[in-house]
Amino acid sequence: MIRVLGNFIEIIRGSVITARHFIVNMWFHIVNLLGIKTQRKGAVTIQYPEEKKELAYRHRSLHRLVKRENGKPRCVACMLCATVCPSDCIYVEAAEDPDPEIQKYPSQFIIDLSRCCFCGFCVEACPEDAIRMDTSLIEVAGDNRDALVYDKDNLLR
Amino acid sequence: MSKEKTKMIHIQIDGKSLEVREGTSVLEAALQAGIEIPHLCYHPAFPSEGSCRMCLVEIEGRPDLELACSFPVKDGMKVSTQSEEVTKARKNMLEFLLAEHPLDCPICDKAGECKLQDYYEQYGFFESRFEEKKEKKEKKVEIGKTLLLDQERCILCTRCIRFLKEITGTRELGLFNRGVHTGVNIYEGNPVENNYSGNLVDICPVGAITDKDFRFQTRNWFLGSGPSICPLCGRGCNIDIEYHPGFPHFPVPKRVYRIGPRENHRVNGYWICDYGRYHYSYIDEDRQEQIVDNKKEKLDSWERVLDFLKERIKKLYYMNKTSRIAVLTSSWLSNEELFLIRKIFQEDLNVEKIFLTDPLPGEEDNLLLTPERSPNSKGASQMGLNFKELDLNKLAERTEVLLMFGSHITEHFATAQTQEAIGGIETKVLLNPHISDLNSLMDVVLPTCVIAEKEGTLTNVKGLVQPFSPVFEAKGHCRPEWEVLVNLAKKLALNFRYYSPFTSVKPIFKKMQKEIGFFGTKK
Repeated sequence: MIRVLGNFIEIIRGSVITARHFIVNMWFHIVNLLGIKTQRKGAVTIQYPEEKKELAYRHRSLHRLVKRENGKPRCVACMLCATVCPSDCIYVEAAEDPDPEIQKYPSQFIIDLSRCCFCGFCVEACPEDAIRMDTSLIEVAGDNRDALVYDKDNLLR
Repeated sequence: MSKEKTKMIHIQIDGKSLEVREGTSVLEAALQAGIEIPHLCYHPAFPSEGSCRMCLVEIEGRPDLELACSFPVKDGMKVSTQSEEVTKARKNMLEFLLAEHPLDCPICDKAGECKLQDYYEQYGFFESRFEEKKEKKEKKVEIGKTLLLDQERCILCTRCIRFLKEITGTRELGLFNRGVHTGVNIYEGNPVENNYSGNLVDICPVGAITDKDFRFQTRNWFLGSGPSICPLCGRGCNIDIEYHPGFPHFPVPKRVYRIGPRENHRVNGYWICDYGRYHYSYIDEDRQEQIVDNKKEKLDSWERVLDFLKERIKKLYYMNKTSRIAVLTSSWLSNEELFLIRKIFQEDLNVEKIFLTDPLPGEEDNLLLTPERSPNSKGASQMGLNFKELDLNKLAERTEVLLMFGSHITEHFATAQTQEAIGGIETKVLLNPHISDLNSLMDVVLPTCVIAEKEGTLTNVKGLVQPFSPVFEAKGHCRPEWEVLVNLAKKLALNFRYYSPFTSVKPIFKKMQKEIGFFGTKK
């Protein structure tokens, strides 16, 4: 009998806690709407996609091929990224550059993003700092597989 | 070699007692015993130069470190290759070599098989202390039809210069200027133009001399390598075929990327000629991969083709008219295949019209390249096949079944001429690894394998019988000729007991050794 009564007390206490959170958060939501006490948010959730979270400094997002000053890719097609890639999703084809100081440039650079696991090894391996994952684009999507195969034109930015 | 009277002496390298021939150098003794001493300029084919100074070792009783490549062994000598002084000296030498090295490994075709790179990983690992600007030199000098020279990468080991002096005797390269400006180059207007220039790429320990043919095609660590025999002349040089096994998710433009020499002192030493090195396109280009059926008899599988052949041959066999079969062989076939042709057609079927169509002889040089342009001309001549003189009229006269191996007949007669002669033959079958002009003239064209895809033995011009095995799998419907011949013999129900063990090349070779004296005595 006493045990059953104890259960009821706990249920009432739980309801009070829930109600308290609801009223307090609701209060701050309303107050925030009026532009008062904006440091204290009504809830920790973010209203994605209208609202976006700031990415961490070391985040890994969509790859990009870094450009030289003259707009050509900095990549020299050494294929270390393709070698180190654990998902085998990078394909590079080299070609001869007329400039004897550059000599080699990628005529094709393909990343199959549908296979990429965003480990960042390609960035680590690159001896020329030519590939980076700092575009802050994390919403990579497509309605077919081919749309996720990015070539040099998509990646140079 | 073993008959020469040479004194054997005992030395100790790193505490390991060795017995070596007198007169060998410390480096050679160590390499024979499997002890590694880093070296860049030493090459076993030339006298040692001692210019890279990587092979320094400590020898008991000597005040200084000595060069292992040029220091002859003495009885009771104690050598240390791993002492503290040696490793320090090695590291310092590497630092000297790398001080003027451009470190453009990302764009260097040698990266991955570069000895300087390997030694830095093994013995170096120092931070660069070089603060001055590196010397600027020519990055892209065309020194030959297929060769590019990068003077910045050169470490002045002079292997290339010694190769052109000792092996080809053409001396196209030399050392120019002095001090830091020293560089290898050609004498003005005289590029490296001999049939062995490709070997310079192999012997260059760094990426100073690179191959235009392989330039930027792929990185060498993607390539697999398989031992094979060069079929482009009668010498039978031992080669390594370097091929791309393919990426898991991307297509690769071609299979074979380059050909390199495989050391064999009975045949080619350390070298191969440029003719064999750069004419590898026959492996991948213009390949016949599907069965061509011009008669529309629904011959879409090997089983049906063999049934079709069996019917035609059996008919003539029962009528005792096997003289109406003509077989055109070629010395691009292996010993086993020629043996099977002899066995099936000459002995079992009593076919008289057996001809040999070989590629026309080409130029030869005084080192490796022979005038024969097929790998097995010696084997074909020793097989005991009664070849008739090649004559289109004799070939076509009253012939009902024509079996042709290879399309080298196009080199002897114009296609129109061949068409006119063989046009009246009822059944014309061509077994060919390549697409040729003959395809439209034939009733059936069967795709076969090239040397790199099959197993067998070849006899070189000197009579040496060399085995080869497949480097990679055959494409499409391609089958090796020996397999086709064995299956045909089984279909024809010729001496079942004789042919049934021939499921691989080995038993055929053993039978051949037993039956043909030439192969029995050798081996």
